[in-house]
Amino acid sequence: MSAGVQRGEARTRLGRWWQDWRFHLSALAVLVPLAALPRYYSDISLFTGDAGLGSGEAKHVQVGPFDLQIAEFWLTAPIDMGVAGARKQFSVSLCQGCEHRIRAIHARFGKPRSLRAAGALFSGSHVRQTADLQVPPSVDSSDNLWLTVEEWDGTVHHGDIAVDQVSPATAAWLARKEKQQ
Amino acid sequence: MTIRKLTFLTATLLGASALPALAHYPFCTCEAHGADVICTGGFSDGTSAEGVKLDVISYEEDVLIPAKFDASSKYSFQKPEGEFYILFDAGPGHIVEVDWQDVEGIEQ
Repeated sequence: MSAGVQRGEARTRLGRWWQDWRFHLSALAVLVPLAALPRYYSDISLFTGDAGLGSGEAKHVQVGPFDLQIAEFWLTAPIDMGVAGARKQFSVSLCQGCEHRIRAIHARFGKPRSLRAAGALFSGSHVRQTADLQVPPSVDSSDNLWLTVEEWDGTVHHGDIAVDQVSPATAAWLARKEKQQ
Repeated sequence: MTIRKLTFLTATLLGASALPALAHYPFCTCEAHGADVICTGGFSDGTSAEGVKLDVISYEEDVLIPAKFDASSKYSFQKPEGEFYILFDAGPGHIVEVDWQDVEGIEQ
């Protein structure tokens, strides 16, 4: 038996073509992921912060004495996470020098009732912190996105921004939901 | 079983076992059953909420019922008078607030 690729015993023309060319299909395994590379690098630059605070335009929110910037991480409506409800991710950036005074930043849709119920907690460096917020079923398009800042001395400040300013896709999603009810 | 089949099976099982680790969101859903409200809590990766604090709080910020989830990750209580909300509190940032109007099947 000679060395090399065995050609098989196909009798039809199509069968012989398949035997000769099936090896070249393996090239597709290399080429197909290449199409996904632009999206991959775009996502990576978002995760590392090279693309800015988030996909959306960063907006200023005044929370007590602090001027924070907030942006939606993805330009999409809230994502249904099953039993954990509809969720939406935001990023914030602290004002210069504020990191020495701020202990924690919370966010929630609708005005918080207390510090305990202030919502999701942002985590990360002072130039870019992220949090994943649940959108409670009772929230409507008139509710704002509220930020709560807790200082190291215990002082608490609240600030808010309209949902359609910080995330038009979420505002449209809330409006659609209201129409369906 | 050939080595090839065994490798394929192992890779499939490893891939499937990695999926539940993707998210760890807290959740709390509540249903009304007559005069009672039954809340079920937990985390989206399947972790139980046993021992996690659950408070029933009035709109005036009075804690009406301080409680913890039981071994089945549930807690049942009698619906209080007036407006209230239920707070699943697994620590700062790990909270879920359920307004009484969002309790499934409750009379409004």
